[in-house]
Order: sequence, then structure tokens, then C-alpha cells
Amino acid sequence: MITFEELYSRYSPQIFRVCLGYTNNEDQAQDLVQETFIAVWNGLPGFRNESQIGTWIFRIATNHCLRAVAKAKRMPGGELPFNLAAPVEESIEEKVSILYRCIGELAEAERIIISLELEGLPQSEIAGIVGLNSGNVRVKVHRIKEKLAIKLRAYEQFR
Amino acid sequence: MNNLDDMKSLWHTVTTDKLPSSTEMLKLIRKFRRQKLRNKWMVIVSCFMLACLVAAALLIVHFKMATTYIGGTLVVIASLLLAATNIRSLKRFYNLDDQDNLNFLEFIAKTKENQIHYYQRTMVVIISLTACGWVLYMYELVYRYPVWCIVIYFIMTVYLGIMWFIVRPRAFKKDQQKLNATRKRVESILNQLK
Repeated sequence: MITFEELYSRYSPQIFRVCLGYTNNEDQAQDLVQETFIAVWNGLPGFRNESQIGTWIFRIATNHCLRAVAKAKRMPGGELPFNLAAPVEESIEEKVSILYRCIGELAEAERIIISLELEGLPQSEIAGIVGLNSGNVRVKVHRIKEKLAIKLRAYEQFR
Repeated sequence: MNNLDDMKSLWHTVTTDKLPSSTEMLKLIRKFRRQKLRNKWMVIVSCFMLACLVAAALLIVHFKMATTYIGGTLVVIASLLLAATNIRSLKRFYNLDDQDNLNFLEFIAKTKENQIHYYQRTMVVIISLTACGWVLYMYELVYRYPVWCIVIYFIMTVYLGIMWFIVRPRAFKKDQQKLNATRKRVESILNQLK
């Protein structure tokens, strides 16, 4: 039986990055990680299907991201700057900042799908989290990637 | 940075050092885990306590007028109805965490519809039952001790009138706008997944 501490160490960085992809804000992402693991803690004693535990945790996390919309806490999207150190020309920080800013400009569902894809989850697992079939996810990932590439090119052009 | 592999390698460079350790997270969880649905639990417990209190008063004290029993029963029914509405809502929230995003969004959209229905129907029934119940329940007391109780009766009637004619419509109007806005946003995300 996997312990809560093991789950937290294994999944919290991944969940943080996915929440950051959705919110583009470090503090909100940390709050969402906390809410996710409160739900994991509450649900863990009754959870039996350990092979699916990652999918379960990602579902909770992405649902909490979406619930923020229901609570009328408007997520900042692309209009707020990503909270990193001041960008330096051609630095990794600048590139990461641009990447997150571009993801933040996507629609909510697209942000979730691309965040899970970038996190390296198999598309069948993404389908299980989002509630689509694998074929649909493949098509959506392809389209989102194209959108993202256009946005990234635009940023590089106008920098 | 236009291909997916570049994006993936960049994505993983984000530091996660600021995240609390598992020990710190456990402390936070113990502090906050009950907070989320605390208000709903408080409403349920208060409703049951009020229902028990009124029922006990009706059973123990020998009232002379039928209005007292009718009023008390209406208050008990209203309290139990409010408790049942909140229990149903709690149950739905507890079953929510293993839903995929699509089902979750459909649930949220349905919840918003239910909330509008609650304001339009259930809340009206609960407030009507409570108001009629208290007015009837207190009538015997006023009848027996008019000098002392008429002021209390008057204040109570005015309070119920204000709640019914001023507070309820204003709260509903404000919340309905928010609920509709949220429902539209949820529906727009649902459309993104279809």
C-alpha cells in the first residue's frame, strides 16, 4: 500500500507544473496543489485501484483547476505576467516565461490537455483524465501544438 | 522552441522547491481538510438541533391551542427540508473526486441549475413554512401574555416580512447573475471539450 508521503513526493511536482500551466501564477498553483492533496488525503482510505492512482490524482487536480472557474475566481490566463525572475535575453527563464504565457493564452480545456501532454502523460491517460477518447485527445494535442507554435513564433518575432 | 520536445524539456525546468515538504503538507491538511464543507455541516447540525428543540417543546409542554402544534410542525418540516437539501448536496460533493473533467463540468453546470431551482422553489417553500410556522407557534404565547409578547410578535413579523420582501429578492437577483455567468463559463469550457 502506497503511503501519502510517497504519493506527495512523487506527484506534487507534476501537479504543481500542471496547475501552473493552467493558472500561470505560482501562488494560485500552490493553493491548487494544497487543495488537490487535501482531497487525495480524504479519498485515499477508500481508493482501491492503485494502478490508476496517477490518473485519479491528475483528475482531482484538473477538476480543482476547473472548479476555480465555478467559484468565479477568474484565472488570469495570459494577461498577467508569469511570476518568475526578470527575464534575461535568451535565458531559460525567459523561454519558460514565454512558454507559460503562451499556454495561459489558450482556452481552459486546451491548457489542461497541453499541460498533461508536456508533463509526459500517455495520451490514453490524458483521455481518462479529461473524459475524451484517445483519438480525440491526439487530434486536440496536434491542434493545440500548432496554436502554441504560432503564439511562440509571434512572441519571438516581436521580442 | 517550436517542437514539442523542446517545449517538454523547458516545461520540466520549472523549479518546485517552494512546494511544502510532505510533513508540512500533512500539517496543512490537518488544519484545512474539514474547512471546505464546514458551512454545509453547520447548517445541517443547526437544522437538526432546531427541529429536535421544537419537537421536544411540543411533546413535553402541554399547549392548549392547535395553532402551536401546527406552527411547531411546520418549523420542524422546514428545518428537515433544509437539512435534507444540504445533505443531498454534500453527498454529491463527496462522490465528485473520481470524475473525469467532462463529467465534472457537467456536474458543475447541473449544480448551477439546481442552485437557481433552489432559489426559485425550495427556498421559497422553506421560508414560507418557517414564517407561517413561527407566526402560528408564537400565537398562543401572545394570546396568553399579550402585554409582554405583542412587541416580540410584532418584531418577529416585521423581521420575517423584511426577509421575505426585501432580502430574499435582492439576494436572489445578485446570486442569479453570478450563477448564470458561471454557468455560461462552464458551458463554454464544455464546448471546448466537444
